[in-house]
Amino acid sequence: MCDLSTMQVVTSKENFLSEAWSFALLGWGNQEPVKRLVILLAITLTACGVPRDPEGTLARVSGGVMRVGVTDAPPWVELGDTAPDGIEVRLVEQLAEEIEAEIEWVEGSEQELFGALRFRELDLVLGGLTTETPWSAEAAVTHPYLTTATLVAVPQGSEATEDIAGLEVGVEANTEIAGLLRRTDARVVEVDDIEDFDGPVAIDNYLTDDLDVVDTGVRLSESDHVLALPMGENDWMTTVEAFLLERPDEIKKLLAELGTP
Amino acid sequence: MRFSGAFEFPPDKAKANDRAIRLEWITVGYLVSAIFFIYITLGSSQAMKAAWIEDILSLVPSISFLIVARIRNRAPNERFPFGYHRAVNVGYLCASVALAIMGLYLLYDSVSKLAAFEHAPIGLVQPWGEPIWLGWFMLPALVWSAIPAVILGRIKIPLARQLHDKILYADAQMNKADWLTAVAAMVGVLGIGFGIWWLDPIAAIVISLDITHDGIKNLRTATAGLMDARPTVVDGSAVDPLPERLRTELLALDWVRDAVVKVREDGHVFFADIQVEPSTNEGLTSKIERTARDLIKVDWRLIDVIMMPVEKIEDKRRADKTRPDVRSGSKP
Repeated sequence: MCDLSTMQVVTSKENFLSEAWSFALLGWGNQEPVKRLVILLAITLTACGVPRDPEGTLARVSGGVMRVGVTDAPPWVELGDTAPDGIEVRLVEQLAEEIEAEIEWVEGSEQELFGALRFRELDLVLGGLTTETPWSAEAAVTHPYLTTATLVAVPQGSEATEDIAGLEVGVEANTEIAGLLRRTDARVVEVDDIEDFDGPVAIDNYLTDDLDVVDTGVRLSESDHVLALPMGENDWMTTVEAFLLERPDEIKKLLAELGTP
Repeated sequence: MRFSGAFEFPPDKAKANDRAIRLEWITVGYLVSAIFFIYITLGSSQAMKAAWIEDILSLVPSISFLIVARIRNRAPNERFPFGYHRAVNVGYLCASVALAIMGLYLLYDSVSKLAAFEHAPIGLVQPWGEPIWLGWFMLPALVWSAIPAVILGRIKIPLARQLHDKILYADAQMNKADWLTAVAAMVGVLGIGFGIWWLDPIAAIVISLDITHDGIKNLRTATAGLMDARPTVVDGSAVDPLPERLRTELLALDWVRDAVVKVREDGHVFFADIQVEPSTNEGLTSKIERTARDLIKVDWRLIDVIMMPVEKIEDKRRADKTRPDVRSGSKP
């Protein structure tokens, strides 16, 4: 990646611009040596258990108790009378099974959960969090396991056009999507229940099938979904991340099953 | 007697100057790539952040050098009768202020992270489809930010001496010392890898101390330059012999009874202010003019000699006892 002989050529020749570029681009042009080096590093050092947890979270929860904070955020987390359910809840239940951990569910507001997470009183927090979470100074977040979008869709059979200027678009009242829609040229029609509205709607992308509507291609926002963990427990974090990254199809299936209006 | 005009390097120095400009363009291109690689692997490591900021700051001397190289040779005009040479000092001062402030900020930031027991989280990335710990990418990025920099620094130091250019020298020194930053940051990253979380902020503290130290050292040199301190050699380790040499030349002339020489350093050129006590007033004007023309040839950096005849030399300067001076006194 860093080649001494190239350096000497650069300094001895007159036509410097092209050489300066070739020098600056040494690292960009060919990814192969970097890739090999990184993979070699990863293989040798992962063998000695790197990255490790400063506070030993993974070792404690494996075969032990995993304390998971949950806050109501359908369809990701739905608090029930007995046990929580939802896409993230089911994923974490699978993870617990894999590392033979028992889950202790802790319900609370985000404020309470992240307060506890900051002091490592919880091992994981679920609540439909995205990379935009304002709690990133208190907690670590995983690599995004899923990206969703909010979009404008029209009923099956009607013309799907990206030009929504002046179009009457239904949206659930008092929501973020309503706010996003108001910033477009569309005419906002606030409804209590999106299922009752007949016509173009602004919704989460995973609801198109349930509502029998088709995407117009107009995106209002994108969300990268994450789980939150205590800061710096990197073995635990990479374990959770690897678990999630191995299951893109399963996550899509869960979204189709649980992501309903 | 005034000679200042557009400054031109003697042929051999002009070649060195062209080479320095070329090297500085290469440095800028290379640093941009190093900054880019560290940026994409930055993660939450404080040491990486410190190394990144250090790399960004090390652009400042290179860019100052390139800007100044364009400006300083402009001919003097009515608004700037002394020419533009001092642009070098101004650029140098700005660069060192930026270094010192950024170093102190980073120091504060790193110490507070250590005091808050903040453990840096670093997770997985998937550039080639497989998930790999981001920490493994940080190490090659740091190697790339160190080795070419050290080589560039080593090539530039002799050029800086040859050209008597303090910005170039400061820049070369910074590049040369870059391996220290990279090694410290690697220790920090490996610390995170092995679960020793505090190695990361400690490494960041080491790097920020290094940046602050560089900043303060350069700030002193830059301030001294703007205050017309006695010229020194480019690394500041010794007094420049030029003023004493000019005085020796003057005292060797039969019409000069005594002389005081003050030399001012503007960027990489010198302006001399001379008072002479002539032994005779006969043909004084032509003698002064001839002598000034001869003196200006003594050193390529000397671009202006002002000579003033006086009845009696009165030099009120005190010797600097801490540093043995080469100041001119009365004829022994």
